[in-house]
Amino acid sequence: MSKRFTLVLVVLMVLAAVLSACKPAEKLVTTINLNFATEPPTMDPGLSTDTTSVDCVNMLFMGLSRLDIETVETKPYLATEWSVSADGLVWTFKMRKDVFWWRWDPATQKAEKKRPVVAGDIVYAVRRVANPETASDYAYVDYIIKGVQAVNTGESTDLESVGVRAVDDYTVEFTLTQPAGYFAAIAGMWTNNPVPREPIEQFGDKWTEPGNIWTCGPTYLDVWEHENKVVMKKNPNWFDAKNVFIETYNWAIVNDDATAMAMYENGELDVTPPPLSDMDRIKADPTLSKELYIGPGTCTYYYGFNTSKPPLDNVKVRQALSHGIDRQKLIDTVLKGGQKVATTFACPGVFGTPAEDPNWKGIEFDPAKGKALLAEAGYPDGKGLAEITLMFNTSAGHQRIAEFIQQSWKENLGLDIKLANQEWAVYLKTVNTDAPQIYRMGWCLDYPDENNWVLENFHTTKSLNNPKWSGANAVEFDRLTEEAALSNDPAKRKELYFKAEQLLTVTDAVIAPIYYYTSVVMTKPYVERTYSKAGHQEFWYWKVQAH
Amino acid sequence: MTTPEITSQQKAAQRLSERQGKPANLWLDAWHRLLRNRAAALGFILIALLLVTSLLAPLVAPFHYAAGDSSEAHTVPAWLIDLLPGNVASYAKVSSKFLFGSDYLGRDILSRLIWGTRVSLPVGFIGAFTALLIGLVYGCISGYYGGKLDNLMMRIVDIMYAFPTMLLIILMMAFFKSTFADVRPGTVAATFNAINDVIDSVMGLPGGGMLFIFLGIGITAWMGMARLARGQILSLKEKEFVEAAHMIGAGDGRILLRHILPNIIGPCIVAETLAIPGYINTEVFLSFIGLGVDPPTPSWGSMISDGAATLRAYPHMVLFPALALAITMFAFNFLGDGLRDALDPRMKGTS
Amino acid sequence: MGRYIIRRLLLLIPVLFFISVITFALAHAVPGGPFDREKPLPPEVIANLEKYYGLDQPVWKQYVDYVTDIAFRFDFGPSYRSRGRSVNDIFADHLPVSAQLGLAAIVIALVIGLPLGILSALKQNTLWDYLGMGLAIFGVSVPAIVLGPILILIFALALHWFPVAGWGTPAKMVMPAFALGLRESAIIARLTRASMLQVIREDYIRTARAKGLSERVVMVRHALKNAFIPVATILGPMFAALLTGTFIVEQIFAIPGMGKYFITSITNRDYPVVMGTILLYAVFLVLANLAVDLTYAFLDPRIRYT
Repeated sequence: MSKRFTLVLVVLMVLAAVLSACKPAEKLVTTINLNFATEPPTMDPGLSTDTTSVDCVNMLFMGLSRLDIETVETKPYLATEWSVSADGLVWTFKMRKDVFWWRWDPATQKAEKKRPVVAGDIVYAVRRVANPETASDYAYVDYIIKGVQAVNTGESTDLESVGVRAVDDYTVEFTLTQPAGYFAAIAGMWTNNPVPREPIEQFGDKWTEPGNIWTCGPTYLDVWEHENKVVMKKNPNWFDAKNVFIETYNWAIVNDDATAMAMYENGELDVTPPPLSDMDRIKADPTLSKELYIGPGTCTYYYGFNTSKPPLDNVKVRQALSHGIDRQKLIDTVLKGGQKVATTFACPGVFGTPAEDPNWKGIEFDPAKGKALLAEAGYPDGKGLAEITLMFNTSAGHQRIAEFIQQSWKENLGLDIKLANQEWAVYLKTVNTDAPQIYRMGWCLDYPDENNWVLENFHTTKSLNNPKWSGANAVEFDRLTEEAALSNDPAKRKELYFKAEQLLTVTDAVIAPIYYYTSVVMTKPYVERTYSKAGHQEFWYWKVQAH
Repeated sequence: MTTPEITSQQKAAQRLSERQGKPANLWLDAWHRLLRNRAAALGFILIALLLVTSLLAPLVAPFHYAAGDSSEAHTVPAWLIDLLPGNVASYAKVSSKFLFGSDYLGRDILSRLIWGTRVSLPVGFIGAFTALLIGLVYGCISGYYGGKLDNLMMRIVDIMYAFPTMLLIILMMAFFKSTFADVRPGTVAATFNAINDVIDSVMGLPGGGMLFIFLGIGITAWMGMARLARGQILSLKEKEFVEAAHMIGAGDGRILLRHILPNIIGPCIVAETLAIPGYINTEVFLSFIGLGVDPPTPSWGSMISDGAATLRAYPHMVLFPALALAITMFAFNFLGDGLRDALDPRMKGTS
Repeated sequence: MGRYIIRRLLLLIPVLFFISVITFALAHAVPGGPFDREKPLPPEVIANLEKYYGLDQPVWKQYVDYVTDIAFRFDFGPSYRSRGRSVNDIFADHLPVSAQLGLAAIVIALVIGLPLGILSALKQNTLWDYLGMGLAIFGVSVPAIVLGPILILIFALALHWFPVAGWGTPAKMVMPAFALGLRESAIIARLTRASMLQVIREDYIRTARAKGLSERVVMVRHALKNAFIPVATILGPMFAALLTGTFIVEQIFAIPGMGKYFITSITNRDYPVVMGTILLYAVFLVLANLAVDLTYAFLDPRIRYT
């Protein structure tokens, strides 16, 4: 009896020694606590449109290419290389052979290997997006691929006619309607990520639920409690798993940024964007200020002018208004997130934007010039000017900016303008059908090319945005952006976009760019992370040190 | 949000009216009783003060409500800085220029509070007023004529009641605000906007968009009152003095106006006085979800919801509006309780 | 009694019918559709989406389809915002959360409100009374927008008693339940006081006293039970409101409840969710009121339903 007891004791002691010996070697923590500010509307690559959904898709799937988070260049990912035909119309992607579909079973906590990811999965995904029955929001991004538009609009019902085909299991080929230098980025966009036919056919809309979903990305989907939390688990068999150190990704779903900040300070979250209202406190706090990071963003905030409504049909009035906005003061006293004064539509980092071009001279804050322009327009100090309404969609942040700019115009130009706000859906309708004289908008890149900005937003026929602008400059703008889209010569494209931006923001002042976004984030010191310039984060390459 | 509150008070009011013998000549007595009740008198004085402040806002407020310089944003008054928790003193701009400090655009909080009475008080009164006007008339007709009409009218109220009030307000606010863009003369929307402009300019708050808030709150405020009034009438119309009036050949209108109304108006007024804080709270909620007045028009609701967001960095931004709201709530509650006691002598001093 | 209940339940049908018609009309009258985007979708894509959800049908047909789906398959339709989730899924996921939170809030409201009201009534016009009622008014006066963050500051960040926010453990429930319950407790306290004051003047209390029963027995057995009746009447609507009208508290404490759907579904023009939540509220309100009326009968033997 006592012998046995001694034996047990010895075993226990050895075990304890082994366990404690293990501990110091293990310096990394395998869990990270993150936050989605909203419930992901979907995790289906073909249906995703918002940043939260895209973050999920990036965790679970792989695209042919990826945007380098540092340089915002298009890099190989699921594809190892690609080539373009001489006429720029046929793109061929060679795929990795070591990527597989996995089904994670949340009940047993085990992953089941299904089959390799093949070219057919990409063909299936692109056809599925084009299929009108899928009703994908972002189908129009693929309209550049031959046949997609016809299928999506119901002109053709032949899914085979879509310009994508599997040359062999690991080679996929796209045929385009026109040359597009940026197509490698489009091919890698989440919309065109490979998706597995089997679970989609089996579960329909429910295929993205944990237990149903097959994934091929860095993680598996373990838990999705709607509006509450998402848990993802590392896929140890992923092709680059050796560089993935975090095993469990806990995503809380916290809408309120002040609450998220409190959770962060209480150690319940490891990363959070700080509430802007808290910036002064954070910057003054010795600990928090060190955990604050302000990096470049991928969006531009601007005010649009309805050029068909007097008095904004007068270009001088528009230019005067643009000159009358003290953007730097807005950033320093209201926004406080280190945003950058915007003088172009497309933000820095986008190919073709003149934002950081030394030759670029955009409209800057200049009250004297603004007043002079107003006087030239026939309204000295705003006398005789009809009532101007500035409208924004309901939100505390937009309201502060609008109130500041209202003050700014009053102070610098002597103008009294009226503010109005509408709830988002109503606002979109209003801007689209009968835009107010001045309206707020913003744009974030889908892919880092000016085409995504100037042509897709302001081309008078190819863009669906309203209100439209018109006149000789608008015609010239259309010509410039079309030519740039078709060109393969980077230097020439740059030059064309420079001119287009000039027409849009200076000569015709159709919009007043206000600021370029920054990404402002708090990160605990024990999280070793990367910061992205491309708009999406690569969470799976982060590390969490013991804390 | 206000439903339980109203119900409770209605019950109480109903009960007290049942025991009210002949109240028609008791108004003066009630007034004296009210003044003797110190809490109620205090409430009355506070509300009167608020009203005067609101009327004299341009004279009383040290600054214009929209005037400010964002380089003076978030200043904390010197007298307050030591009382605030945390390390506010280490980063806040301290200034004695503004008694209650300034907000995110450097606007004087005190001035905005003062101007804000022109939104928050009317919201409360309009809620009560429409409740009395529509609810009372509706309830009187339903209760007095009874029968099938009563049945139909009360079913309508039942249906309206089963609507989440807040949701109805939100839907309607979204609708009203959407009509904004439509300014073609002759359309319903243009008419709404014209009325709105008149109200805004009467209030001295151009571009406030107040009509829509008044409408939203008014339209949903009357159902409770309709039920209360009907209940009161049902218990009164069989009383001897009503029968007597019938006998001497008085018409329905005269009976309702001269005999019944004076007997039920007391409890109804009490119920509405106690419901006013609920309407004011509704405005706070609407501001929180962004359906409040249009900026830069100040309202207590928008100040509170803005301030609550910066509670940790700049507590003074929410402190004063929240205090103002609390004091107003106390005042209306004191007054309402006092009115109830005054109108129902039996409730008082039995112990 | 059974017939009474059935009659009351049958009344639900016209109520629900009218509410669904009004909501449907109102929701469609508000401009903006579920597929309006910052960068407008091509008309073809919108047409695809509308076809997918049956929105290409005439409005009356949409309504009829909607109602038949509910009536015959108990299917409240899809959510336009969350592809792959139906309104039924939303109810199944979030209603239990709201119910738990609502119940906890009501328990807190009763635990605070009832004693406060009784104390105030028994010590009418004393310092206790003023203090109690002052506290009650205070409870109604502090908006949840302010109370929530203050609770987080004190009990999570300073004292570390509870986690800041979230859902899933009992500890996470305490602060939101309190934030919701405080306001309701104030209402209950005031009502209890008024009701107690009324009851203790009734003849039967005098009789009970005259019979020589001890003050405790008089209070507990006779006064309290009767004073509770009006309190019970408001518990029904209160619970219905707590199940659905807790947007602010859910927002502040990151709770996956029903409240947010009332607001966001309108913002997103997610018509089936708007309809579903409103109908749900109506059903709860009617059921809660029925439950209250049945409690009456239990509390007050004079009331009988036939």
